[in-house]
Formats: sequence, structure tokens, C-alpha cells
Amino acid sequence: MSAPVEDRREEWDGPVPVPTGATEPFWEATLEGALRYQECDCGNRQLYPRAVCTACGAEDPPFEESEGVGTIYTYTTCHVPGEPGFGDRTPYVVGAVELAEGPRLLALIDAEPTELAVGSPVAVTFWRVSDEAAIPVFVPE
Amino acid sequence: MAEPILAGVAESDLGETPDRNWLDNAAIATVRALDDAGCTLAEVDGVAVAGGDDYMPALILSEYLDLDEPSFLEGTEIGGSSFEHFCGHVRDAMARDEADVVVVAYGSTSKTGPSDDRSLEVTHPVDGFVRPTGLFRPPGAYAMAARRHMHEYGTTEEQLAEIAVSTREWASMNPKAAQREPITVDDVLESRPIADPFNLLDCCLVSDGGGAVVLVSEEKARDIDVPPIAVAGVASTSTHRQDVSEMPDMTTTGAAVTGPKAFEQAGITHDDVDVAEIYDSFTYTALVTLEDLGFCEKGAGGEFVSGGTTAPGGELPMNTQGGGLSYCHPGHFGVFVLIEAVRQLRGDYTGDRQVDDAAVAVAHGTGGLLSSSSTVVLRREA
Ligand SMILES: [Zn+2]
Repeated sequence: MSAPVEDRREEWDGPVPVPTGATEPFWEATLEGALRYQECDCGNRQLYPRAVCTACGAEDPPFEESEGVGTIYTYTTCHVPGEPGFGDRTPYVVGAVELAEGPRLLALIDAEPTELAVGSPVAVTFWRVSDEAAIPVFVPE
Repeated sequence: MAEPILAGVAESDLGETPDRNWLDNAAIATVRALDDAGCTLAEVDGVAVAGGDDYMPALILSEYLDLDEPSFLEGTEIGGSSFEHFCGHVRDAMARDEADVVVVAYGSTSKTGPSDDRSLEVTHPVDGFVRPTGLFRPPGAYAMAARRHMHEYGTTEEQLAEIAVSTREWASMNPKAAQREPITVDDVLESRPIADPFNLLDCCLVSDGGGAVVLVSEEKARDIDVPPIAVAGVASTSTHRQDVSEMPDMTTTGAAVTGPKAFEQAGITHDDVDVAEIYDSFTYTALVTLEDLGFCEKGAGGEFVSGGTTAPGGELPMNTQGGGLSYCHPGHFGVFVLIEAVRQLRGDYTGDRQVDDAAVAVAHGTGGLLSSSSTVVLRREA
């Protein structure tokens, strides 16, 4: 897969993830429009990236590429900005997205709350917010 | 096993304490709780502190109070459930004769203190995934769990609001409660939206203040002649921390694990429980905890709390001081559920505020983002 990556470096005032350790391969892939999760040899799939497999304890489980689609497991509309730089965006939707591959991911949902329900299909896009990272943002499919 | 006795409880001044820091409030609550127990600072040989805006809070409070080489020190930080969690550690320490008089304390300046300046460069691996979403935490995280609960079980916003209404009814009888004007379900639904499905009145207050409880060994309790309120059962667990999407099941909390353990230790069933003091950071927190503790079937919490079940005169009096929703919420509310449970079991109140002949209470703490759960069963010994 390769999802759209929109360059928002100029206008983004929110928190910026700084790739470190186990998360570096994840953030590197986002710049190319790819969403990665870890899939261990034991079969366990996990997100956020970690230095160990939470099922078998293997170190540095390898990354796989997600199809970038999933469903809304749940969501909320924030009427109060939860982070610096989100004031002008308020209200905005944050969801827990269940990826087709299984892992869940907390993400901004670029949609009106009226367009959404629990179970709605969504697809990933990326907003590049720094030289090092593009954050996954989901849109209704 | 020997059961510690909750011998003294107290709050510091609540609301706004601009001239106090967290430590002042924790210390004031401590000396007031010792006074309530008929104990002196010189007798304290154990201290347990969570929260506080400093590193090593147990050491800081010990120094501040000039404690004489306490043998029991606890600072495990599991958020709002820390104080219930401490009760188990205190029980174990007393069983080993390690301590006789232990202070469990909390203080904060959540309302008037400086807000934390957060860097926009997020280096913590987990926070790098959570903070750029802008999720307003804690309300947004609890709201997401509530929405999933509504989806799975048909829980409604009106049912969540019922909790705020009955809690306020209790608060109306508590002179220390910050919000005492009665409210209706419509008032809750029409209050300012915060994080859908929560409106302002679904959310706890933000207060300054502190609280403390004094636990003494059975032997010490005989010396000071206090009403014997015993820690009869206690259990803790956690399910996740920063990221609610990591919850194994977003509609079930750790209370489903800690409730049965604590009840079994105490040898009680739900029918024995006279009063429930249940952490209510949000209306939903109390609703899901009641379910997970087993007061009703899983998913039936909305129905259970409707019609005044938890209000004054109801079948299960809950949050009888007005809870975090209406009384106070200085950040870690867990110490205040213990304080109120003890007061109800001692029969400290009069009129409708007092639950008739209360002998068994459940005090439940929740910490983090529905992350930690600790249940304590308290019993008034005959
Ligand atoms: Zn593995």
C-alpha cells in the first residue's frame, strides 16, 4: 500500500512525535505513506512498536505493512482541545481504529462526527508534521 | 490474617488553596486524621503517599512531618486507586509487625497550581502515538470507552446522567461539597459538551485539597479505643496505562478482577454491602465499575442506576459525600472514597445523609485512564 501523505509541516502546531528506538521503523515508513505494525515469528501482532513481543518475549519483532484499512472501534468528539495547537481545530474527532490485521491504533479521524458510527470503515492517510514523521489520520472509506 | 483498623480520616481544606502546595495539604490532612484517630505524630511508624507533584513524595512528607525513622514507606503510583492499593500493603506490613500506625496521605493543588508545560517534541514512544491525536485526556479517553459501552449494551446518555443527578442529591446534604444545587437529567444533557458523549456535568470537578487515613494494627486499636472499622478485603490490578486503545476489552475494567477477590477475602456477597463509595471521575466510571464489581449483570449498568438506585434512600447508596462529580476532585480521588466509607460505617452523620445501620462498605479506586482498579471491603466489627 501507499497512502497519501499531505505535507502539513507549515501549519501544524500540535505535538510532534520524535522517532526513538523501536518506533523508528514505524515513523520512517509513514513518510512514504506506509502504515506498519509488528508481527512476531510467534504470530503475535502489536502496535505501538515495542522492543519486545508481548506474547513470547522475542526482542525486536519484525515489521509488516498494513493494508491501511480498518473500522472505528470507538471514537469521541473533543470539544475542548487536549493538546497545544488544537484550539483552531476544535471540535475534532479522535478514534480507536481496529486495523484489518487486528491491532488497534488511536488516531485523528478527519471527518464530521455525523459521518461516523462505531463500525464505520476507514482508511489511513498521513499528515507530515515534521521532517521525521507523518502522523496517521483516518478518513471514512 | 490480622486486619488493619481504619482509625482516623480527614480532609484538608478543599476547593481553592492558593497559599498551600500539595505537601501542605497532605500534611494538614495527616494531622487532622491523626487527631481523629486519637494518635500523635510521634506514634506514626509508617507513611504511604501517592500523587504529589514531587519525586519521592513519601520521603518528602516524612521529612516535612519530621517522622522518626518510619519503618514502612510506600510510594507506589497507580493513580487514583493508589490509596486502596496501599491498604493491602499496610495489612501485610502489620501482619509482619513492621508498623502499628500508618498514615496514607494525598495532597494536590490541581485547581490553582501551575499547569504542566508540555513540550511539543514528544520523545516518549507511547506518547508519540497518543499526543499527536490531540485526545483530551482524561475525559476523551473515558468518553471513548463510554461510547463503546453504548454501542455494545445500548447504554444511553440519559442513564449516564442519572448518576450525576443522584450523586448531586447526596452532595446537597454535604456542607463540604463544592456543588450542592439539585440537577436534573436534562441539566446534564444540556450542559456544555466536553468530549462526546460527555457533557460538563458528566465530568468530575477540579479542586485543590488533600485527604488522609490512619491505619492501625488491631493491637494498637485496642489501646486507642476507636470504632473498629476493619480492612476485610483488598485487591488491585491494571489493564493498560496511556493508551485506551490498548485496553483488552474497552468496556470491562480491572474491577471485574479485583471485586471478586476482595469480596471473597472479606467473605461477603453483594447483598451484604450497605454502602458503595465508587470512584467517579466521570459518570461512566461509576457505571462500569458497578457492573464489573458485580452489582448488576454486565451491560445492565444503565438500567441499574436509573430510578434512584444509588440516591439517598435507594437500594445501593453510592458516593454519599457527593463524589468526584459534586464534592471535590483534587486529582487522585481514591483517598476520599476511603474517608467517606469509614464515616458511613462509624455512623458519623445524622438524618438522610447517614445510611441506616451501615456495617459493610465497598471503596473502589480507579487510576489513570480506566487503567488501574483497586477494591477495598470495609467492615464494622461488632
Ligand atoms: Zn512473539
